[in-house]
Amino acid sequence: MTALLGLPPIGRQAPSEDVAEALRELTAIEFQIGETATDIDVTVAPAQLTQLVEALQARPKLAFDFLRNIVGIDFTPEGMALKYQFYSFRWGHGLQVTVPTSVGHPRVPSIVRFYPAADWHEREAAEMFGFVFDGHPNPKNLLLEEDLHIHPLLKAHPLQPAEILQGIEEGPPGFKI
Amino acid sequence: MSIWPEERVLAPGAAEFDSVDMTINIGPQHPATHGVFRMVLTVDGEVVVDCEPYIGYLHRGLEKLTENNDYRQAMGYWDRTDYLAGMACEVPYCMAVERIAGIEVPERAEYIRVIMAELSRINSHFMFAGAFGADVGSFGTSFIYAWRERERIYDLFEEVAGDRMFPTYIRIGGVAMDLPDNFEQRCRWVLGSIRQGIEDLDGLLTGNEIFVERCRNLSPLTSERAIALGVTGPLLRATGLQWDLRKAEPYGIYDRMKFDIPWRADLQGDIFDRFWMRLAEMYQSARIIEQCLDEMPKSGLVLNPDLPKTLRIDKGECYFRYEGTKGEYGVYAYARGGNKPYRMKLRSPSFCNLSALREMVVGNYIADAIIILGSLDIVLGEVDK
Repeated sequence: MTALLGLPPIGRQAPSEDVAEALRELTAIEFQIGETATDIDVTVAPAQLTQLVEALQARPKLAFDFLRNIVGIDFTPEGMALKYQFYSFRWGHGLQVTVPTSVGHPRVPSIVRFYPAADWHEREAAEMFGFVFDGHPNPKNLLLEEDLHIHPLLKAHPLQPAEILQGIEEGPPGFKI
Repeated sequence: MSIWPEERVLAPGAAEFDSVDMTINIGPQHPATHGVFRMVLTVDGEVVVDCEPYIGYLHRGLEKLTENNDYRQAMGYWDRTDYLAGMACEVPYCMAVERIAGIEVPERAEYIRVIMAELSRINSHFMFAGAFGADVGSFGTSFIYAWRERERIYDLFEEVAGDRMFPTYIRIGGVAMDLPDNFEQRCRWVLGSIRQGIEDLDGLLTGNEIFVERCRNLSPLTSERAIALGVTGPLLRATGLQWDLRKAEPYGIYDRMKFDIPWRADLQGDIFDRFWMRLAEMYQSARIIEQCLDEMPKSGLVLNPDLPKTLRIDKGECYFRYEGTKGEYGVYAYARGGNKPYRMKLRSPSFCNLSALREMVVGNYIADAIIILGSLDIVLGEVDK
């Protein structure tokens, strides 16, 4: 990695065409390019995530050296998804990687060996949604109790009665106040 | 008579003895952990060989609550994340929602938001400097110095919003109400007082040889390693990398503001540099507030008048990043119809900075572990969400 000094280039919180251009050179990996309000979005299958992340980190035109965040989303019944946000200090641009998965306990490769920052983010996504990160060095609960095996951020997880009374019309099916 | 013998003689072959590791539990109820945080240290003599942080004691389910309340109801929870800088947490939440809904903010409201966010930043850094001074050993004095100024900032918040710590003043599309009549004059007076307060702390700690000796060269961090571990904010800038989201990916009206990212040629990311960086940033925040007071429109709307009664967002996704008081405060928002967000995720800077604790602590003395934790400036409300 080259030495980082001084001010990094100024980026805008908007999708950058440069990133999309550099990504199109990665012909060995299958992915779709889209965009969100703030970043270019790449959708890739879990099996190819490691390969993509490796390229994102190593390719000089991409040079994504910083993992910002990992987000899990529950789209039941369509499936679930993981969203990874990256940033490049060299180019000052951002990227989002979307990994669609099945429901239940889908297996996704861990990226801790590329980005040590992923450690706690993956543990959080695992306990909140039930993802299983293959190769994670310390797959324990982080925010929840260690022996608690529930996944509270799944849409099917019931709410407390008090919260249902606060202006939410109905709880999940079969759940009584 | 001294309790120590005149000459302490090592037993023959003492260096070859195997030492036994000991496990020490610190927290969750311990004043040095700045909240409910627990770390289990394994020590060899006085040197830490392993550290396992345990978090989650303050987990309130912010994200689940946000998903189950409408966009405006959910706002009150967000200033309870970083509760030392409530205003600076409401702003990114509102900006993320505005980004996916395409809502404009009146110019006067943009200026008010910057003033409030920067006052919060000063407030939070004062809290750090006071508590850090106490961690290092200047118990009492630094705390009281910092508290004097924080009280003045809180008084200002109370005048503006009616509450001190959790103002819920920022709204989607602007701010809740206009500033009180005498605000500009009062704010300038508080700024003068803040500058005096920073100088006092500077004189008390930065020039204090005991303090400097304790903090210099302790747990240095390189920029590359900080980035790999996900460390942002003043901790990253203390490594010498001038990366501040207000300049690197500007939002709101920050591209109009003139301020510098503090830098010194000998920055090495050690504990002293982290302290120095926060003090230097407070001056810059005061500079930004002064510019806002000079340049802001003297009257005008503070809330977008075209907002619907119930905000419904059909489709939208963004990862909005904001320079919070502790680092990159990222809000991921996903909407697909209805009056509630489908998913809202907080990338809290304290959470990410704390995940680097193990690497910083291992190899240092147990007494220094407390200072290293203090230098991270974590807020457990933000760590545990």
